[in-house]
Amino acid sequence: MSYKTEQQLNLQELADWVIDQTKKAGAGDCRVSLSKRRLVEISYRDRKPEVIKEATTKNLYLEVFMNNRFAGKSTPDFRQSTLTGFIAEVVDNAKIMEEDPFRTLPDPKYYAGGITADLQLNDPDYNQITPENRHSMVKTVEDACLTKGGDKVISVEAGVYDESFEEFIKSSNGFSGSTKGTYCQAGASMTAKDEGDRRPAGYNYIGCRYKSDLPPFQDIGTEAAVRTLDLLGGKKIASTKIPIILENRGAARVLGGLFDPMAGANIQQKRSFLADKKGKSIGSKLLTIQDDPLLPRGLGSKYYDGDGFPAKRRNLITEGTVNEFMVDWYYSRKLGWEPTSGSVGNIIIPPGSRSVNDIIKDLGRCILITDYIGGNSNSTTGDFSVGIIGKLFEKGQFVQNVAEMNIADNHLQFWNKLVEIANDPWIFSQARLPSLVFEGVMVSGV
Amino acid sequence: MFIIFKMKPIPRRKFIRDTALAGGALLMLPSLKACNVTGTQSTANYFVKEFGIDDALCQRLLAKALSKGGDFADLFFEYSVQNFLGLEDGKVNQSYGDISLGVGIRTVKGEQIGYGFTQDLTEESMMSAAATASTLCDMSATPVDTRFNLLKTSNYYPLTPDFNGIPGKSKLPLLQNINQKCFALSPEIVKVNAGFSSTLKHTYIVTSDGVKAEDLIPLGFIYSSVVAERNGKREQSFYNLGGRRDLSYYTEDVINEVARKSVTNALTLFDAIQPPAGEMPVVLGPGVTGILLHEAIGHGMEADFNRKKISTYCTMIGKKVAEPFVTIIDDGTNMNLNGSINVDDEGIPGKKTVLVENGILTSYIHDKISAKYYNVEPTGNGRRQDFQNYPVPRMRNTYMMGGQATPEDVIKEAGNGIYVENVSNGQVKIGEGDFAFYVSQGRLIENGKLTSPIKDVNIMGNGPKMLTNIILAANDLTMDHGGAGQCGKSGQGVPVSFGMPTCLVKSLTVGGTQQKGGKS
Repeated sequence: MSYKTEQQLNLQELADWVIDQTKKAGAGDCRVSLSKRRLVEISYRDRKPEVIKEATTKNLYLEVFMNNRFAGKSTPDFRQSTLTGFIAEVVDNAKIMEEDPFRTLPDPKYYAGGITADLQLNDPDYNQITPENRHSMVKTVEDACLTKGGDKVISVEAGVYDESFEEFIKSSNGFSGSTKGTYCQAGASMTAKDEGDRRPAGYNYIGCRYKSDLPPFQDIGTEAAVRTLDLLGGKKIASTKIPIILENRGAARVLGGLFDPMAGANIQQKRSFLADKKGKSIGSKLLTIQDDPLLPRGLGSKYYDGDGFPAKRRNLITEGTVNEFMVDWYYSRKLGWEPTSGSVGNIIIPPGSRSVNDIIKDLGRCILITDYIGGNSNSTTGDFSVGIIGKLFEKGQFVQNVAEMNIADNHLQFWNKLVEIANDPWIFSQARLPSLVFEGVMVSGV
Repeated sequence: MFIIFKMKPIPRRKFIRDTALAGGALLMLPSLKACNVTGTQSTANYFVKEFGIDDALCQRLLAKALSKGGDFADLFFEYSVQNFLGLEDGKVNQSYGDISLGVGIRTVKGEQIGYGFTQDLTEESMMSAAATASTLCDMSATPVDTRFNLLKTSNYYPLTPDFNGIPGKSKLPLLQNINQKCFALSPEIVKVNAGFSSTLKHTYIVTSDGVKAEDLIPLGFIYSSVVAERNGKREQSFYNLGGRRDLSYYTEDVINEVARKSVTNALTLFDAIQPPAGEMPVVLGPGVTGILLHEAIGHGMEADFNRKKISTYCTMIGKKVAEPFVTIIDDGTNMNLNGSINVDDEGIPGKKTVLVENGILTSYIHDKISAKYYNVEPTGNGRRQDFQNYPVPRMRNTYMMGGQATPEDVIKEAGNGIYVENVSNGQVKIGEGDFAFYVSQGRLIENGKLTSPIKDVNIMGNGPKMLTNIILAANDLTMDHGGAGQCGKSGQGVPVSFGMPTCLVKSLTVGGTQQKGGKS
């Protein structure tokens, strides 16, 4: 047998070869995912480079299905000479598994309807970013942060990160998909002088698919300083029930507690407090959660999911009522349900009409939560508890920054306390959430 | 940040795509990987024999990395194989694996780092990575030692002679055994997931100042995750044991312990009441509650945060920070624990570092960069997730020495408060010193006695304040023997462990849902 060198192969050719070899090794079916990634990271501190990092990675992930047995394994070594042994090993791994009738590749009928639109995941100008551009971008961010931070600055670290990636996936029963994408990020973190030994640190990192969609670099740096200065003097207040606002950019930390229990695996494994809630109300009428994997340039946008099903828009929760779970092929078979998709693309909560500032004026005493610390959420019971950092307001007037405090509730009660949604969706995230307003939430402090 | 992994493995491409929404905890999910170990059994000259990485080649790579100047450069070679076997619905039906191979090349000048890595161990690719690292500097070349002396280290995780010949199939009965035992322990158990993760990692570090160090590092754990059902209510619990051990550790006793703990913990939760909210005394039970030290003081003592003046502890060395009975240690030399290291990822032998001695703050946790900055010996804490990342100061096994009291004395002294039995994760804000840890299971303390179970509550505090508030410790220091815990910092996860005696903290903020004194 003659082997091609890695340079001679493109990802599609290699996938075809791997599938052919895997079937020859005894597998009934298989799926192979191949990916390459080029990344560059530059950070500055004290106006000089602190880290310069650059590299290319690649990965091959092979899943083998044979006689209702399954094994998957990944390797960075694309040489055909060593892949032969690797393939034999994955097949051997599958052979020793116990039989599970649900472990198969998806029915190919679900592959139909592939996305033909261009989701604009790949910045056509990406390759024009030069090392000089990157250094210039970081310097601008750092300078703006240092300038705005003024004499409160103890330390500023500014950085840019960008990557380009491509993947090709093919299954032995008719699915193939490919994606090319880019990602650019810029930001800074600042540590500030405060009372006593406290040195609050704030940050602002912004990422998107196209470099040209980033806000002005000066604004990114300035915002990092503003968010840090906003932490000065943070103290806890007495434990109380009070209205809270989850600021747009961090709200996914709490909302995430609804996603685990909507996953097919947790429903089938009885680890979901939402398992019997399909078609039932679990929250306020204001709560509508959409999954849109087809948003142009979206950070969560995709053409297909992990099973090879075409990505599609869907309503997960509509006006407080659970509409659809996230069920992949395997767990759909175990549950005896139709598969939906086991993963989400971009999470959307439709925005309201008022700004956070306007809402705060009407809330009386309330806390705007800008960051979180620790915490967790129990997918079986819905209980959650998480540390918060934020700002206390009284009738629209700023009272003090708060820190070392906590919110706790059960999701089945908490989302019924949602009383307003602001008009400010955060677009630099896979979770494009506006700020969310709740009433009567237990906040622990003194 | 500290996370105990409970989830099933996620293929790497799914991991990249699906976790951006999920916040801090999920971002730390590992691609748990699995284990038909290949390669040689002996660590001696592994990379020379398998990949032709000889001294002359290393010298050329280091010379390239320092071709434009710099204080020093190093090479970090890694070959690891991770394997995971999973049981669900009574069948061992998932096998996942991952191979990691590559070299990271670092050029250091003062506190600056140039870093390149490659998965391709050809000279051409490695020279390109070295050239990337060298771009940090713009001066004349720095000379490289032409001879590399092999570092002699202790072995804190010896492997049994036949560790490499164990077939994957022999691990299946371990999981079946857990499954059967969990269901046998209680008719209220309705679901059991069990998993066995094992990793074997070869590392080879070569430095421009003439040191080379090899290591063969095992890591693994076995877990049980159960769901119990009673009167329409469900509760779940997770328990794992493991560490830097080979398959010989996973005896019938270990299997029994994993099954028993996961089941009894889940059943106890049916009686749990809503925890209180606000400041109150907190008693930490022995063992895994040492996460409090990890978050409240350990991260703040990592010297990179201190040389940058961003840690709340950066002005406190030599000062009294706790009562005289408090001694806190970060230790790489414990046998078989998750955070034990024979050599760190910069070629410094594993050591024991006293952070707080008799109440006085004594030493930061150093990598080579910070040790040079502070003009002290490195403490052997330069660690990294893998060859794709440069090392930074990281904890190993962090624990507090025991006191004189009995555990009963400590609970009695608390009066009214809460008792922490099990924790799942934690986080700290370095500059403020504010930290949190999530209690998955505990009890109320009423009138000096343990009463109702509590669960799912975040506890908040401030590191320096908390240290002064440790007012009593018992004589029962216990180390955590879990293998699933990882510490996350700068996007890198490394395995760590903790230890704690039963101990009373005068006041912490408990993030419950009830006003103090209330019950659901």
